[in-house]
Amino acid sequence: MNPIVTPLKLPETTPVLDLRGLHKTYRLGKHVVPALQGVDLTLQAGEMLALTGPSGSGKSTLLNLAGLIDKPDDGEVILRGRTVTSIGETEATLLRRDAIGFVFQSFNLVPVMTVADNVDYPLFLSGVPAAERRERVAQILAAVGLAEHAKHRPDALSGGQRQRVAIARALVKRPSLVIADEPTASLDSHTADQVLDLMREVGHAQGAAFLVATHDARLLRRCDRVVALLDGRILDVHTEASHELAMA
Amino acid sequence: MSSQWLKFAWLNTLRNRRRSAVTVGIASLGTAAILLAGGFALFTYQGLAQISARTTGHLIVGKPAQFQRDEDTPLQNGLDDVAALRARLLADPDVRQVLPRVEFSGLISNGDKSTVMLAAGIDPDAEFAVKGPFLKVTEGEVLQSSERGKVMLGAGLARSLKATPGTSLTLLASTTEGALNALDVTVQGVFSTGIPDVDKRLVYLDLATAQKLIVTQRVSTLGVFLRSMEATHPARERIAAALPQLAVQTWLDQAAFYTSVKELYNRIFGALGLIIGVIVVFVVTNAMAMAIIERTREIGTLRAMGTLPGQLTRSFALEGMVLGGAGSLLGAGVALVVSVALLMFPVEMPPPPGRSNGYPLQIVMDPTLYIATLLAMVALSMLASAWVARRTVTKPIVDALAHV
Repeated sequence: MNPIVTPLKLPETTPVLDLRGLHKTYRLGKHVVPALQGVDLTLQAGEMLALTGPSGSGKSTLLNLAGLIDKPDDGEVILRGRTVTSIGETEATLLRRDAIGFVFQSFNLVPVMTVADNVDYPLFLSGVPAAERRERVAQILAAVGLAEHAKHRPDALSGGQRQRVAIARALVKRPSLVIADEPTASLDSHTADQVLDLMREVGHAQGAAFLVATHDARLLRRCDRVVALLDGRILDVHTEASHELAMA
Repeated sequence: MSSQWLKFAWLNTLRNRRRSAVTVGIASLGTAAILLAGGFALFTYQGLAQISARTTGHLIVGKPAQFQRDEDTPLQNGLDDVAALRARLLADPDVRQVLPRVEFSGLISNGDKSTVMLAAGIDPDAEFAVKGPFLKVTEGEVLQSSERGKVMLGAGLARSLKATPGTSLTLLASTTEGALNALDVTVQGVFSTGIPDVDKRLVYLDLATAQKLIVTQRVSTLGVFLRSMEATHPARERIAAALPQLAVQTWLDQAAFYTSVKELYNRIFGALGLIIGVIVVFVVTNAMAMAIIERTREIGTLRAMGTLPGQLTRSFALEGMVLGGAGSLLGAGVALVVSVALLMFPVEMPPPPGRSNGYPLQIVMDPTLYIATLLAMVALSMLASAWVARRTVTKPIVDALAHV
């Protein structure tokens, strides 16, 4: 696979994502369910951080807040050094368009678009000129090994190939942050390994930070840090060196 | 709006081809129905306008009192010095012919039976030359300007008096002095106007015979025939300015039947168009609503990736445009084919109420009607789609992504 050129680099001292004292509750009828209860987290450029924990531990809520598709009840979300907790919907949309890539468990590709068009869409949204878009799409599809599938529709691809398209779509705009929700959950073991290798390889080349929610032990082993959540609180943090032991 | 959005909209309409085909089909039927009904109404309006203008003249010149109140005696408000007036009117470049007309009422008798008549004294040669075959002659011949003492009877009147060509009849009418005068005439021909009530009363005779009967040199009005319908209003302005002592009416001022039919048809076809428009809007709305619900999760994905709600709304409006545009274009094609087919294979319509003659069914292919209908259909489809999409595209992204 070809490496991605022109990686985006932030000043080393500035974290890509800084979450401070995040609180979030949901109302289910008369019941108030606390999803996050004071979570602090920092993510550096090029770092891959895994969120793990049982269902209802707050992983998805944390991803939503970090991805600016939801707002915390309390606390601060600081993206690339800028506090974005209280920005408006339009500004948040433009910030997501510019700085954040998403990888979903079930790929969420647009079925009527070809692979190339799916990958092209974020660049089109950002107003990148057509010639540059074509070049960058070809480049990233080559990087994820799908150059020959550019004209195919997603339904003509295997699950692993679709997730590689989703990764290409998330990375093509060279985001600072990639939010991935169970990216390997729909994949078999071999394919999951390939997708993980790809995420690490392409992500590191671009300097993108990954925030990944997962239960997948293979993925946890490959992350730089693993944050275990329980009942909306950070239970434990393992570094790359220590979580091998923890996983054992 | 980028062509990329249009391509996206086009691809989205192909997701559920059967649903899109049904939507396009109904939109096309609605468009065709509007164009055919509208084309038929236009054909009717144009036909009635031509008939009205041909009956009275594009312009009618008379004394103001002629158009304002009934006369106490025949030709009380008639025009004098007709030859000079006619010459002045004929000098106008748009004027093709000026026809004098003497209108009066009286009795007509075959000796055994008398009945009421409405008589029109005309210049037969000029009248038939300008109007063409405006009467359906059922028996005998048309009048000639060189012959005196001849009349043409409406078919109902001829039947009532048992008159045929060559029959001698007597006309009785008040003179301009109020005395009663009688004149023997011979039936030259029998005609049908297509309106049975008119055919029971109407008598045509030459101008000189009519003036002799009511003892006058006046005429009731002058009918001014122009080179085209479009010249009506400019010519009216010119003639009214040149003859300030006289009143100049247009054919429309005297076309009560045309006006009432147009008002009726406008309401009927307007209501029909509204109903069809509402049906098309409902069908497009329903199709788009289903498409949008099915794509809620995709909408969430696109929003997460940085698509603004307004961009998605416009994208759905474009889908509506594709559906409505395809439907209306197809419908316009159907309407054109039907309209041309009716020209090639004429269909006779039954006589309208109060008429005795049918008429060929024709549909006017009016570019303005086509363009307006197509634009309206596309605009309605776009608005309906945008309206349906507005709630889903602003739904919280987290909820949209969780949609199953």
